[in-house]
Amino acid sequence: MTTLTPPERRPRLPRLPERIAGTETTLAALAVAGYVVLAATTHGAVVSGGTLTAIFQFLAVPMVIGLSQMAVLSVGQMNLGVGVLTGFCAMVCAWLMVAAGLPAWLAVAGALLTGAAIGLVNGLLVVLTRINGFVVTLATMTIIDGLRYGVHGTATYQGYSHRLVSLGQGSVLGVPTVFLAAVAIAILVAFFFRSVPLGRRLLASGGNPLAARLSGVSNDRSLVVAHLVSGLLAGAAGVMVVALSGSVNATIGDDLLLPSFAAPIIGGVALAGGVVSVLGTCLAALIIRLVDVAQAQYSINPDWVDLIVGAVVLGAVLITQLRRPRAGGTP
Amino acid sequence: MTYLADRLVKTFPGVRALDGATLRLQPGSVHALLGENGAGKSTLIKIMTGVLRPDGGRILVPRDDAGAHGKEPGPATDLVKGPSDTDAGLHEVRFSGPQDAQRAGIGVVHQERNLIPAFSVAENIALQSTPRRRGLVDRAAMRELARGCLDRLGVRLDVDRPVSALSVAQMQLVEIAKALATDSRVLLLDEPTASLTAEETEHLFGVVRRLRDEGRAVVLVSHKLEEVFAVADTVTVLRDGRSVAEAHPLADYTQEEIVNLMVGRAHAARRLDKAPVAPGTAPALRLDGVATALGHRDVSLSVRPGEILGLYGLVGAGRSELARAVLGLHPVTAGTVQVHGRPTRITSVGQALHRHRIGYVSENRKEEGVFLQQPLTRNVAVTVWNRLSRAGLIRDRDERDLLTTYQERLGIRLSGPAQLAGQLSGGNQQKISLAKWLAADCDILIIDEPTVGIDVRTKAAFHELIVHLASDGLAILLISSDLPEMVTLADRVLVMRDYRLTGEVANDTHDYDSTSRAIGHLLHAAAV
Repeated sequence: MTTLTPPERRPRLPRLPERIAGTETTLAALAVAGYVVLAATTHGAVVSGGTLTAIFQFLAVPMVIGLSQMAVLSVGQMNLGVGVLTGFCAMVCAWLMVAAGLPAWLAVAGALLTGAAIGLVNGLLVVLTRINGFVVTLATMTIIDGLRYGVHGTATYQGYSHRLVSLGQGSVLGVPTVFLAAVAIAILVAFFFRSVPLGRRLLASGGNPLAARLSGVSNDRSLVVAHLVSGLLAGAAGVMVVALSGSVNATIGDDLLLPSFAAPIIGGVALAGGVVSVLGTCLAALIIRLVDVAQAQYSINPDWVDLIVGAVVLGAVLITQLRRPRAGGTP
Repeated sequence: MTYLADRLVKTFPGVRALDGATLRLQPGSVHALLGENGAGKSTLIKIMTGVLRPDGGRILVPRDDAGAHGKEPGPATDLVKGPSDTDAGLHEVRFSGPQDAQRAGIGVVHQERNLIPAFSVAENIALQSTPRRRGLVDRAAMRELARGCLDRLGVRLDVDRPVSALSVAQMQLVEIAKALATDSRVLLLDEPTASLTAEETEHLFGVVRRLRDEGRAVVLVSHKLEEVFAVADTVTVLRDGRSVAEAHPLADYTQEEIVNLMVGRAHAARRLDKAPVAPGTAPALRLDGVATALGHRDVSLSVRPGEILGLYGLVGAGRSELARAVLGLHPVTAGTVQVHGRPTRITSVGQALHRHRIGYVSENRKEEGVFLQQPLTRNVAVTVWNRLSRAGLIRDRDERDLLTTYQERLGIRLSGPAQLAGQLSGGNQQKISLAKWLAADCDILIIDEPTVGIDVRTKAAFHELIVHLASDGLAILLISSDLPEMVTLADRVLVMRDYRLTGEVANDTHDYDSTSRAIGHLLHAAAV
């Protein structure tokens, strides 16, 4: 007998769509400002065709990696294997062409399938064992990492499909094709979460698993699908690496894990699940990319880049927090 | 050494939970605090223990207790004492938190356990009064303290065992010992016997009598009147936030008189026009001899289209759990469930919803009913996304149209389709929670505590809505702990106690007096 009427407070939630819109605007402004400062202080070096192309060419992978992490964040999970999986899928793709002699399109499909399959395994492990996704992906990450070196050793694969490489390094109307591919993927992901029933269910499960369950949504299925999508996107990122770089070795992807978190977090995606922002994630990836560019342009000692990236991540999050209307609410 | 809660008033939005309730506690007595659901007992306890602050009235404690601990309880302690105050030696206190109440000597054992499972018995007992030596925890002294407290209760328990290894009854004793460790002069026990066996209950009452003989005041909140009469000396009965019996010797009353005091005759239940159910209508949902893994035994009920069947009982009686078992969230271990005459075995909410069109409006609106951070359109459409999508995609316009339909039908007040559910008032959130089931064409609705925390006007509107839905041919199983609500809405009322049905009350006349009394007797009757 404790049916005490709870003191009903007016909900003081921040308005999330507004909040995200605010975050996205802030990020866009930050990106533009950063670019203008870069252009001005380097006497226009970043406006020249070559540099501009490079900026967007090497934005593609971080964007897709960020979306891969965002997919699992949508259900309140994390995928620690994103970077390693990208590297692994790149290896698989290159190996299929070089060692197995498959045509490029089959190798690409194989890499995507590998990513999706490993994502599926992650998801099933999470659901069937009820072990936290953080732990499961930590374990599978380590296993894949071991596989990468165990199977391929320190081999470098190169000289595979010239058509794939020239496609990956080429551009359409001056826009790099890999970047176009990343934008297309981003649009698909946005569509998935916005208009496809399955994508909506992921957000429902992530936002309120109890209500989702009582509404007939299977939270288990949401978890599996989220991990699968995450793996698939990591596979796509792996393919991009293959097409873009022309040679692949076992170290690829090692430095992608933290950026994969940085982009969605700066982009306004809720760590607890239920709220995603594709545009915010992509803009955040761009800002991080600009830091790299600045390092190259100013000839900053590369040893200091991590420090700068860290500071920019913290700064960008702080700025979006401060600009957020009615800060201090949940979550 | 009297403790006095004097004419307390506490208002929540739309609800006056306490309206001048007084609780006077004498040392060396066991005091029963009784009342129906919603009479204000929990609010009173929360104020006495510093969890809530009263809007009016005062709490008075013995002067030495307030000052003995060096620190005045609360920042705003003042010594207002009118000349007419007959309680000499008392001192008004304002609690700004549970610690203040504790310092003033008021301890509480809540219905929910408040122990840290991984800690040992000693660590739990000494949690708020950990003995220290040179800044570090003095484990020997801590064990000593715990043993001392348990000894005074006459309880033998290994103080090094983790609490997680104890039985429910033992945990309760540890909580009482914990209250002794902070030297509580007043001990509030909220439904202490709810999950105890008869033997454990007897042992607990032995402990209670010991505490009384030590000169403490024990407050016992219980719905089991036979137990109350076995152990309590005095009684305070609350009804509608007022005390209708104040610290009266219990021996002056019979159980019958206590029930009548609790139920009162204050309410004239509202009558709502509702089409009667045609005789001979086949039941939409029927349970026969259902048992569940949760402990339900032999539950039989049937609800017909156009009918509102009430399921009344106390919190913890197993009503929501029964609803969840029907939905397939808990396994049904015996008996049959029939939907529209066909025996079925429901194993998931998706199945209950899409195949049998059974909807469940949860009692926990914010936690289980709505997606606070999602727009209203999605909150309403979540059950029908598959049906709504064309070529695999959902169009915003279809969702908006759906929302508009139910906005008009249910009278939901909103600023726009993109508004988040978290921005609506409680009543409107509840309507959104309901709308998603109507959108899915449910013809059997289980509505669980629909108006908890909702203001009076919205509540009345909601009642009309429920009656409309029934008149439209929905079969409604209404779970409520609100007696007037039950009498207003239900065609028949089933009473559940300890996961069993104890009886059925016809409510054709919707007469508050007779129905509430019949329910009260089913609820408080001795062993069934």
